[in-house]
Amino acid sequence: MSTQDRNDKNGASPALSRRSFLSKGAAGVGAAALTGAATTEAKAEIKWDHAVDVVVIGAGVSGLAAAITARDHGASVIAVEENYDIGGRGILSGGRLHLGGGNAMQQKHGIKDTPDQVYADWVRFDAGSARYSDRDLVRVFADENLATYDFLVANGVEFIDRMIGPEAASTIPRTFVTVEWHVPSELIAPGRNRNGSGLVRRLEASARKKGAQILLRHKMTKIIREQDNSRRVIGIAAMNGSNAVNIQARKGIIIATGGHTGNVNFRRMFDPRLTEEYQQACEPWVHQGADGELAAMELGASLWATASQTREAGAAITKTRHIGCRWGYSSLVYQPESPMFRLARATGLTVEDWQNVIFVNQNGKRFWNEVDGSYNFFAACMAWHGDKTKLNGGGPIWAIFDADAATREKWNTKPPNVDPDGYFFSADTIAELASKIKNPYQKQTMSGGVLQETVARYNSFVTAGADTDFKKPTPLYKIEKPPFYAAWSTPILHDTLTGLRTNTNGEVMDIRGDVIQGLYCAGEAQGGFAQHGLARCLAFGRVAARHAAGRTA
Amino acid sequence: MTTESHSTAIELSEPAPAEVAAGTELMLKIALTCAAGCDLHHLPLTIKGPDDAAPAACQINDSGEVSLRIPPKVGTQSFTIACGPHEAAGIRHEPCALSLTVNAIPHGTSLAVWDIPSPILKGERFAIKVGAKSAANAELKGLEVAVFDNNEKVAARGRLRDAPWPGTTALYWDELELPAPADEGLRKWSVRFAAEGLALPHDGTAAEFSAMVSRPPEHRLTVKVIEQKSKEPIADVQVRLGPFRGTTDPAGIAEVMMPKGTYDLHVWKAAYESTDRPIEIKGDLSIEVEALFVPEEDPDNAWTM
Repeated sequence: MSTQDRNDKNGASPALSRRSFLSKGAAGVGAAALTGAATTEAKAEIKWDHAVDVVVIGAGVSGLAAAITARDHGASVIAVEENYDIGGRGILSGGRLHLGGGNAMQQKHGIKDTPDQVYADWVRFDAGSARYSDRDLVRVFADENLATYDFLVANGVEFIDRMIGPEAASTIPRTFVTVEWHVPSELIAPGRNRNGSGLVRRLEASARKKGAQILLRHKMTKIIREQDNSRRVIGIAAMNGSNAVNIQARKGIIIATGGHTGNVNFRRMFDPRLTEEYQQACEPWVHQGADGELAAMELGASLWATASQTREAGAAITKTRHIGCRWGYSSLVYQPESPMFRLARATGLTVEDWQNVIFVNQNGKRFWNEVDGSYNFFAACMAWHGDKTKLNGGGPIWAIFDADAATREKWNTKPPNVDPDGYFFSADTIAELASKIKNPYQKQTMSGGVLQETVARYNSFVTAGADTDFKKPTPLYKIEKPPFYAAWSTPILHDTLTGLRTNTNGEVMDIRGDVIQGLYCAGEAQGGFAQHGLARCLAFGRVAARHAAGRTA
Repeated sequence: MTTESHSTAIELSEPAPAEVAAGTELMLKIALTCAAGCDLHHLPLTIKGPDDAAPAACQINDSGEVSLRIPPKVGTQSFTIACGPHEAAGIRHEPCALSLTVNAIPHGTSLAVWDIPSPILKGERFAIKVGAKSAANAELKGLEVAVFDNNEKVAARGRLRDAPWPGTTALYWDELELPAPADEGLRKWSVRFAAEGLALPHDGTAAEFSAMVSRPPEHRLTVKVIEQKSKEPIADVQVRLGPFRGTTDPAGIAEVMMPKGTYDLHVWKAAYESTDRPIEIKGDLSIEVEALFVPEEDPDNAWTM
């Protein structure tokens, strides 16, 4: 137990018993009135291992911003993080901050901007990334841009002196990049310009300095409410290894768990095609398991602005850029010196020109123009390919290429560049290549005859100069020179773009539209404002923590 | 001292595959059980195969498997795996046996055909490379490959060379020369490999390839590709006109020799956009093509102070 927790005992709720770490969850209410499974922990005496004003679940970008802000407003804070280190997906991000409103960086570069302009851009009907957002939340975001910029500066975050853009729905440049963290051993993807590391490490340092406690390897398992059917939450249950840990939150609990993209069952609520073969970017470092959403929904929380998840704009689903490895997200490579490399197993082969490969589905058939990266391409990838036992999802997508393509792309087709354990195969002939493809998501052996026929047909298109099947512009290269290769190229999932419904304070709302008292949400687990990236996480982490810290214990 | 008798049983703990390649080793997962619950995995077994005069000794390995040598001949093969009787420490484990049949099939083969020139000139001879591969990595040197034309006539024959193609595990290959047809257009050939005369039984295989047959080129098309805004030449642009092709040099110029005719001109380079256009070749021709640079930011670009 931390010193801070012991010191915080004086602030314990009067509802608690004399032994301040033992409380009756159902304080003041006849236990006989309580029914249902959810009451089990509330009826029993809860032994609180820690007690603070604000509990933050997740120490990523929104969680760290929330922890600092809560401390800035006088609240005691514990942030629980299931991983062995802080940072969430932010530590692997490019560190791009989409913040405007006329901040100091914009001013320095002569860019005129206002919060009203931020709002106007991010409710644009003609921008897919803005169209489906909750304008009440966009307004909050717009009004918090300047304060969020100042917050970052005040907490030691450094920026590269350059503006980028306009990007996404913005009509003027609003993007700039944080400086990468300077200690290579404290990076998760060293050597790849993952500048978001500078954001989260600086926030971490500031949070600790200000007295926020971060409990690593603590996985939230439940949000505890005051009593059955109560609309007030009082703490969380977590597991630290095999040890159960209960943490009381006198003022508020902020869900900053980072989204649901890695949870197959959850994500299929929004798109049933997103079955298990689609991997989640930033795995194996961090799994977006919908923990926060599920814990809150068990209390009756609502989702919000779910159209954003399927809006067919942005980076919810992306083309792999590094093929032949399981996680080939465009800007993320785990080099051998990464602490994640043992799990990631390969860096992947970086594709410069999609003319160098053809894509085939698990049956060995081409299905689309390979140089396309639009949502039509993703829809084609996820189309039913005739598997009668698996109607949803499109199965694995394989890039097929030959020795000449490897030469043109300057690929070394050996580990650590590729993962021969299920994600990369080579063979002397095309037919043999098909028979070698073994992968957990490949439901049946690919027919050598079918793949050979596919390649021969494609080669005839190259010879003739036109792809009459899928209109690939100017099919350039035959696939004919041995050896031949098959590299995992199944689209990879990235952004979580919907989540829990909150009001403009970040308070989570239930399915009847009422606030769940004391429960907040920020970051990718929050629904309503589906902007890609770090800025909304920072802004709403601050908003939620500020409100939570201001509550009466 | 009386001897206790326990009955025993051998059964497959996973079904045997329906087909196994002849001449290979099949690992069978089996369970050897005692009705009284004794652990029997250490007991010696015997296996009698279809060609064995007498059973051979074997044992279940740590993975619960026994090894079956499938004879190098195609067809149904019968095996008997037997155990006991064994007697020790006053317990007699009664004998048991498992009989099973395995369908032994030939090894597969497959082909690769490469270095096919395109276009080829009608009536002239051209060379291709053909490689054959055994799924059992068998040495295929000296075996025959043949190329058949559209009319099922042999266009070329060759014998696979002694060493596999560089970079492959066992792709035995040869270079074959064959005549181009007299008529123009996209033509197909079939390469066939019978895989006969190998110690292990193999199935033969076939593969198709195609090439464009053309009249001899008469005229020089010079294409200069420049960037639409900067008007700077673009190097390494792929220029395509049906089967005719070229690549721009540092001056942005590609020269393509072509016969008379009408073609669609395509140019391609990653990160550039351009519009296809029809070209009529009546004589030597020089044209300029614009391509718009549409840079995609490299996600690996360094962002530093």
